[in-house]
Amino acid sequence: MARQPEEKTELKIFSEEQSSLFLIALGPTIWALHFIVCYAATAVVCAKLPDLAGEGWLLRALIGGATTVALAGIAWIAWRSWRQWDFMDDGDYVHHRPVTEHRHEFLGHASFLLACLSFVGVLYVALPAVFVEGCV
Amino acid sequence: MTDAPDRQGRNQGGRHEPSDAAAAHGDAYPPTPAMLDAPIDPDFAKASEERLRETWKTPKGWRYWSAVNNSEVGTWYSLTAFFFMLCAGVLALLIRVQLAVPDNDFLPADTFNQFFTMHGSAMMFLFAVPMFEAISILLLPAFLGARDMPFPRLSAYGYWCFLIGGIFVLGSVLFGVGPSSGWFMYPPLATKSEGVGADIWLLGLSFIEVASIAAAVELIVGVLKCRPPGMRINLMPLYAWYVLVVGGMILFAFPPLIAGDFLFELERSFDWPFFDPERGGDPMLWQHLFWIFGHPEVYIIFLPSIAIAAMVVPTAAQRPIFGYSWIVLSAVGTGFLSFGLWAHHMFTTGLPALSLGFFSAASEAVVIPTGVQIFAFLATLMVGRVTWSVPMLYIAGSLAIFTAGGLTGVMLALAPMDWQVHDTYFIVAHLHYTIFGGMVFPVMAGVYYFYPFFTKKQMSPRLGRLAFWLAFVGFNVTFMPMHFSGLMGMPRRVYTYPGDIGWDLPNLISTVGAFVVAAGFLVFAWDLVRPKGRQPYTARNPWNAGTLEWAHDIPDQGWGARSIPYIESRYPLWDQPKLVERMDAGRYYLADAAEGKRETLVTTVLDAVPVQCLRVGGPTWITHLAAAFTGGAFIFPTFHWYPPAIVCGVLAIACVIWWLWTGTARPPEKTEKEIGLGLTVPIYVSGPAAPGWWGMWITMLADATAFASLIFGFFYFWTSSDSFPPEGASHVARGWVWAGAIALTASWALTRGARVVNRAGRAGLARLALAAAAGLTAAGAAAMLWSAHTAGLDPTSHVYPATVWAVLVWVAVHVSAGCIMQLYCLAGSLFGKLTPDYDADLWNVSLYWNFMVASVLVAAAVVDLLPRMV
Repeated sequence: MARQPEEKTELKIFSEEQSSLFLIALGPTIWALHFIVCYAATAVVCAKLPDLAGEGWLLRALIGGATTVALAGIAWIAWRSWRQWDFMDDGDYVHHRPVTEHRHEFLGHASFLLACLSFVGVLYVALPAVFVEGCV
Repeated sequence: MTDAPDRQGRNQGGRHEPSDAAAAHGDAYPPTPAMLDAPIDPDFAKASEERLRETWKTPKGWRYWSAVNNSEVGTWYSLTAFFFMLCAGVLALLIRVQLAVPDNDFLPADTFNQFFTMHGSAMMFLFAVPMFEAISILLLPAFLGARDMPFPRLSAYGYWCFLIGGIFVLGSVLFGVGPSSGWFMYPPLATKSEGVGADIWLLGLSFIEVASIAAAVELIVGVLKCRPPGMRINLMPLYAWYVLVVGGMILFAFPPLIAGDFLFELERSFDWPFFDPERGGDPMLWQHLFWIFGHPEVYIIFLPSIAIAAMVVPTAAQRPIFGYSWIVLSAVGTGFLSFGLWAHHMFTTGLPALSLGFFSAASEAVVIPTGVQIFAFLATLMVGRVTWSVPMLYIAGSLAIFTAGGLTGVMLALAPMDWQVHDTYFIVAHLHYTIFGGMVFPVMAGVYYFYPFFTKKQMSPRLGRLAFWLAFVGFNVTFMPMHFSGLMGMPRRVYTYPGDIGWDLPNLISTVGAFVVAAGFLVFAWDLVRPKGRQPYTARNPWNAGTLEWAHDIPDQGWGARSIPYIESRYPLWDQPKLVERMDAGRYYLADAAEGKRETLVTTVLDAVPVQCLRVGGPTWITHLAAAFTGGAFIFPTFHWYPPAIVCGVLAIACVIWWLWTGTARPPEKTEKEIGLGLTVPIYVSGPAAPGWWGMWITMLADATAFASLIFGFFYFWTSSDSFPPEGASHVARGWVWAGAIALTASWALTRGARVVNRAGRAGLARLALAAAAGLTAAGAAAMLWSAHTAGLDPTSHVYPATVWAVLVWVAVHVSAGCIMQLYCLAGSLFGKLTPDYDADLWNVSLYWNFMVASVLVAAAVVDLLPRMV
């Protein structure tokens, strides 16, 4: 029966598509993970480790570390999607033609913009740790 | 660069791989102009049109109500949601009458409590969210040139569930037994409240939430898999982007509330003390679960409404949207950031200052993507040639009001400001500005804009302008003074106030304004439903819009599109001159219904290459039966009538099984068919290419989120209390828990194995594996429950045993559903529905079990390992 080889093709396409759409969500996902880490670390340290919480630096160092990792990850995604967008090569930012190249560059463009937003979002979320000293 | 695409967009090689699916179609795809101009035999065209009409015709007479077509279901859905909105509006007017003057006794306090609770609950759960689903069910297939949604019967089931649940919840207020603890139902007020009001809220709305998730699954699969050939992801109408984002948000926002409802109802019905501090519980957990739902929910109703603006603005400006990628950024970005805001509803609950800072910062960050989309609209209008239509008037009004609400939002996101005005009328003013501006006005714009598409008639521009100015002026007269009464300290939810503290005048003005808004809505409602029988049909594309829905047939035809076009532009009606003519002539895909079966096209996710001709369900009554019994299973427990509830639950499951057995994944009469323009695609596919598999995958994401919320509850109790688990508490029986987990893991392995051996043609072995798996599932579920029972864990004694039981019951119920699925596949194999070649059911059930095995192992670790470690 001719159907079964096609099945395999489909699986392959699915994985390609999955990874490409995934790229769009990657930057914001790192933002979300960073947010959860900051929130959970604060909740656990403030509620369960009062000795350590007294020393404000531990929590702030933890958040600082998480922020550095998150920003580095987002910067890498931004770099990758900037290259996928390929703006410097053709100056295209509209991507409205029905060709694979436009689809490809559009996904790069969108994930680049989202990486920028996520970068700013992570900085915002980290800022309280600059101004607030531990659990009050 | 060697990878420059040729004219049809197919790459020659290099970094950008051409789609394998497109390559598999050879020269037949994409179609060339010569193919599209090839002459068509007029007799055949006429005969195929007749067959198509016959296949898609709407049932007549009383059978009309058995329809499942998106145009019928969507119309009922939106009219029902609009009716519920008018009811909730009447409650608001009664509230305003009571508050018009000080020391008023128009409403008794308890009735007032019921009214404001029901006003908020109905506006949110019975109007705002369902309205998004209703409009999307109506419009999405048209935007995509599809014949219908991928699972039309699921939409119908969702609608009937919504209708039953909505009448039940809203009706309670007529009998004076409505919920009265506020729309967010904070414990302990709500857990201790007398009567059935709180149970009606919890069970009725849980029921509707399930319907919402069903609609979200349908819409996501619709956007990803049912686009017309050629409509690549960079050409999708912006509305589809928003639907995709909002569908995703529903999957992550609603399940925490469902988990919260589950715990809440266990406390109210069986006295399990999740929110009772005396036995180790914590009312704050409810606030967290509620607002993890509640804040994204605001964006769940805002984004699809702003998506309407994204369709109206380019039409008004007569040019493509400015900054398509930027709007995608703002939709996706808002979707994510809106989850980081939930605790800004909880600034006064004593969270650590640092935590307040995180939520405050995220609340300010969400302004960026929201602002981006508003500026993109303004830029489009500035560079275009604006025609000032009624829909555009509403959009302009909405932007003004929403911006005002957004500015107070920026103020409220700062914790110190929030501490001052928390729970005052300032908040009431803020939330109405955002929701009226962000949701109500854009939806009204959408009704005016899409009315010619819905009904093929026009609404009156004169009445439209009148309704707008009444609603716009009335709205500001109502809610602007609330900023001031709020700053003067007037709290929310008080049924009356004394006369000498300066609140009289702003309240009186608000009440007058509320009646002006109501007059606006009456004008709007009249214009919407007034008979238009004598009015001539509207022009086909009255606004000269560029998107595909305006290729509709006048008068209406049930088929959606005469033939499914090949799309090459974001605005095909502007850029593809012969498109409508060719669609009408049946030159594109699926122009015939040779077998008399309802069919729509399934395409790939990124490039929309046709991969399947999907058969979809036609009119049926089984969805009504299933919805009625599901309703019984949720409604009877409200009154603690458990036997009838159980009977209803069993019957609901039976209905769903019958519906699936007779209507889905039936082996087709042939493997593939020609869908036009020389293209041949399979009729039946299984696994990741099939829409059903995607539906399962997306549903399970929502289910996993609900389970994760329960586990979050476990950790939350641990951080919030010093006695979780309490000193000397008994734990689950280790041997039984892990015996259960191992049996269930084996069941998962056997299910996956059954799929593999079945595919290899060894159906007998597959049946054996499925039968063994079902047996192991039943034994495993029993062992997990027994582990808590035999250790003597009493769920009413303390929150720790209650939480352990809740996790185990959740898992046991889910694997029981998995057991039914295994037996379903076994029966399918025995009766020839599931064969080595046609095995979609087995793929979907294996996918379900992937999620099951993960939750079983997590549950075992959390109830057994974790408590002994901490």
